[in-house]
Amino acid sequence: MAPPPVSNAAPMTRRGFLKTASGIIGLSVLGLPGRGQGAGAGVSTPLGPVPGVAAQRIEGLAKVTGQKIYARDFRAGDMAGWPDHQWHALYLRARTTQEAFLGLDLAPLPPEAAPTRVILGSDLDPRLFDAPVQFERDLHVDDLLSAKAAEQEKAAKDGSFNLPDGLSFDLLVMPGTTPNFLGQAVALLLFDSLAAYRAARRFLAGDDGIVQHYGPGEGPDGTPLPDHPFDPRTLYVKDPGFDYAGTDAETYAREAPGVQARIRKALDEATGLIRQPIRAEMRAMDPMFMEPEAGLAWIDPARREMQLVLGTQSPDGDLRNIASMFGSAGSPVPELSHVTLHSCYPGGGFGGRDSSPFSLMLALAVAFADGNPVRLAYDRFEQFRVGLKRHATTAEGTLYAHDDMRLEAVQLSMSFDGGGRRNLSPYVASLGALCAGGSYRLPVADIHAEALHTENISGGSQRGFGGPQAYFAIETALDDLAAAQGWDPMALRRANLIAEGDTTVTGGPIEQSLSLPEMLDIAAAHPLWAERAEIRAAHEAEGRTYGTGLAMSLQAYGTSGDGMVAAVHLERDGTLTVQSDAVDMGNGSATTLGVTIGPILGANATRVEMGGYTLFPQTGLSDDSDNPDRWDDPMWTQKGTGSSSACLTGLHQVNTVQQTAQALLRGSLLVAAARLWGGGPLSPEDVVWDAGALRPAGGIGAPLTLAALAEVVHEMGLPTGALGHAYFQNVWVEADFDTPGGALRLQLDGLAYYHGSKTAPQPIPRRDGSYPAPETARYSRYVWAPCVNVVGLTLDRASGRVQVENVLSVLNAGHIHVPELVSGQSQGGVAMAISYSLLEDMPPGMEGPADGRWNLNRYHVARAGDVPLGDRYVPGARAQELITLPPPPDSPRVGRGIAEAVMCSIPPAISNALRDATGVRFASLPMTPDKILGGLAP
Amino acid sequence: MTIRFTVNGVDFELPDSRGQETLLDFLHHELNLTGTKLCCGIGVCRACTVQVVKPPSPAPSPTISCSTALATLDGTQVSTIESVARGGRPDPVQQAFLDQFAFQCGYCAPGFVMAARMFLSGLQAQPVPPDQLEAAMMEAIGSHICRCTGYVRYFEALRSLAEAVNAGEAIEL
Repeated sequence: MAPPPVSNAAPMTRRGFLKTASGIIGLSVLGLPGRGQGAGAGVSTPLGPVPGVAAQRIEGLAKVTGQKIYARDFRAGDMAGWPDHQWHALYLRARTTQEAFLGLDLAPLPPEAAPTRVILGSDLDPRLFDAPVQFERDLHVDDLLSAKAAEQEKAAKDGSFNLPDGLSFDLLVMPGTTPNFLGQAVALLLFDSLAAYRAARRFLAGDDGIVQHYGPGEGPDGTPLPDHPFDPRTLYVKDPGFDYAGTDAETYAREAPGVQARIRKALDEATGLIRQPIRAEMRAMDPMFMEPEAGLAWIDPARREMQLVLGTQSPDGDLRNIASMFGSAGSPVPELSHVTLHSCYPGGGFGGRDSSPFSLMLALAVAFADGNPVRLAYDRFEQFRVGLKRHATTAEGTLYAHDDMRLEAVQLSMSFDGGGRRNLSPYVASLGALCAGGSYRLPVADIHAEALHTENISGGSQRGFGGPQAYFAIETALDDLAAAQGWDPMALRRANLIAEGDTTVTGGPIEQSLSLPEMLDIAAAHPLWAERAEIRAAHEAEGRTYGTGLAMSLQAYGTSGDGMVAAVHLERDGTLTVQSDAVDMGNGSATTLGVTIGPILGANATRVEMGGYTLFPQTGLSDDSDNPDRWDDPMWTQKGTGSSSACLTGLHQVNTVQQTAQALLRGSLLVAAARLWGGGPLSPEDVVWDAGALRPAGGIGAPLTLAALAEVVHEMGLPTGALGHAYFQNVWVEADFDTPGGALRLQLDGLAYYHGSKTAPQPIPRRDGSYPAPETARYSRYVWAPCVNVVGLTLDRASGRVQVENVLSVLNAGHIHVPELVSGQSQGGVAMAISYSLLEDMPPGMEGPADGRWNLNRYHVARAGDVPLGDRYVPGARAQELITLPPPPDSPRVGRGIAEAVMCSIPPAISNALRDATGVRFASLPMTPDKILGGLAP
Repeated sequence: MTIRFTVNGVDFELPDSRGQETLLDFLHHELNLTGTKLCCGIGVCRACTVQVVKPPSPAPSPTISCSTALATLDGTQVSTIESVARGGRPDPVQQAFLDQFAFQCGYCAPGFVMAARMFLSGLQAQPVPPDQLEAAMMEAIGSHICRCTGYVRYFEALRSLAEAVNAGEAIEL
């Protein structure tokens, strides 16, 4: 038996508070020590003895031995202080949006499958609508401020901000009302025994319509109306006199339509421009993370506290949404005072667990469980039916080019199928609009992107966040343009590469080194491209159709303003602990953060604790947007924390941990070393780490182990740990902090030092800060992960089956901390891209997974045989070769995005390779054998 | 009538009335052995793979625990991922997967470990011609789904072990 979790081992630190209609609800997010993100249940996996080098994943041993515990594995009995007996929740799902849901008839259920309680929409207070989920992940900063202002205005009027007039659909469809979307919950069934729950699942498997009744009725209620867009819509218009980044929000909103008309008129009237149509469409895609969503919840009646056990990519946002919902008028738990989320390790994510409605549905279930713990665990059918998807998308427009290959303009309209719930869909569309500019200098842009409310399964944050759709559209059109004009596709791209000093389609400047020409040079010289004619001839000699495709992507990562927090602790035995607010979905964030301190502190972390959402309150900082002093207040920051992704770890979290480690080194360890060596104050340049000990650089002095230093640190009352908060908005906020080692200038906006305790650090107000220029808030994005992909593939003309033979990925990944993690992320991106391009086919409506009958026997994802398994190109063999650019000399030791960067340009490269092979453009994803045979038919 | 079988060497005897329960549910809910994972629940992804030996044949066979009814296990010996590491020390397959960073989220890893171990046991008993080794590996783990890693590192990790075992090198599984 696995040991029970020590869920209360971490102190109950209040994460924050949310003002609601019914009062104030406290919020906490706790990790699950021993079962959480760290070493796992009783096993220890040190990263290895070489500072900065990972011998294995820090949580690897727990995973490979089956000891890693995911949310799905918990039972109420595992949770300290919870009742042992748990109920089980099952939601019935809407099967049509054409008729009203009239109610249930459970008579067909066998007696052993009878639910203990049945909850319908009519059992909820009519004021309890869908929560106004707080989509902070990718809000532009100015949008965030606007949203906050709107919230406050509404709260003043209604006494609650949880009753939005617009974007709310019922959590449970009100009987007599037409569902807003397929899969919307129509009823909650609660079972007090596992046997009854299983019996009901078995009976309803494949057709839960047998107990549902539909007919004439009202609705659907709520806005937007079907096939209307969720707000906000994105319009990026840019010409030499006007752009998004250079115009304040109000002026832009007023003038952009006029500029758009001006641009369109000018392009229509322009002579001598080549016009290349852009036309692409893509099916929705399921993230198909391996662990279907599952969780536990219980309301502690004594403490009036809701506790949840959940694996999520957005613990902070989920918790606030739940508190918001239960704090609203009409809450089924009106006396709730606290919500605590036990954040588990997710079994995969890919964005599909970012702001997922699952947490709300779990919280709703426990409200009706008569004080019992409740388990909600989707099976794969249900996960396909309601889990967030990558959006089905259509893209249509025109590329304008001069006859010397220079691109002049892009005009593009992208429509994302947002499905039922708004979720992050408008922001995915927004980033798609930015990505539609590709890797190219475009003097003129007219890009519109919107996410429509439809009856389909909700879309959300997925790997690439709008990038896969945008790059597929633009990169296939570029190849069509090259083919139509007889241009070399690489030469066309090379003639238009964006570089530092240029601006994106928002008008925001590129201020980061991209090295795109060098990347194209590498791709051009690689035999997969350079010898493509010979390779093709060799295949054709053996009767195979072969083609080569090229595509680029310039994936933006982060948001328009990111806050991160990290702590580094020196234990008395000399070992190091890293804590971070980031969540590790398997992408290696914990491992990376554990080794990134090695070169600074002489050893890798022994423990890495992720999902530390109790950290931000410890900083003493406030991110209250009402603060009139803003950056003038030394304890204010623009943003506390946000969601997690591998890309955010590579740059943002790594830099935050490094800066925090510097604060510990310079503010504590070097002070102790100076005391032991008997000299004056030391700076990092005065010392070197050598074989686990600190030595004077070129001088004389006894080597000091971390254990010896730790002993002195504790004796002298020096800081035993540092807690750093950072904010990035085009630049890092920098400030001076007064420390025991003197004034330090760090890329942090908040610093606190621990003295023994790990929960109550002493904040140090910053001084002389430098802050982002306000106008940078409208750049949309600031950092980029460029990738060039070359794909070689064969086509069986008889079956229409495509086999990807080779993939070359040239990636600018910045500084690489753990090469194995980078290549592993890349390989995962390649597999997912091949799968998205060729295999994963999900029809909309009840023809697709919304009918509840879809599983992996119908939805095919790439297996080993579908991907090249070699890692070095060898003629005649299948391989995926990753070439990473060396980081520029003296550049910071931070990385960039990986998997989504590699993934985004593979689908267009595959389509371009097919075009090269057949002369036919396949612009509809997935490119199934049926579509290919249809395209090849005479 | 009862159903008798062992799990990781421990004897169990259940009434016939429980015969329709799946092995995976039994492992999870009865034994709290949660290392074996549920993903698709219909036996496609193979995340739930366990080892089953059904005497008189001593040969272990990979078994999809999510779709295996207890009634079919009478007289068998079931081994799960929890039985592999000894005293917390990984076996050679687990160590190879660790060294190669073969997995990411780790949810599929137990299934890959169990399938790889049975494959290597089979190779120990009956080596294959070297030019058929890659196809044999694909047969053994090629149906397992991993959404994170793209499979390359799983195959790299297993390949080195398979070549050694196939060449007669003694590896304790």
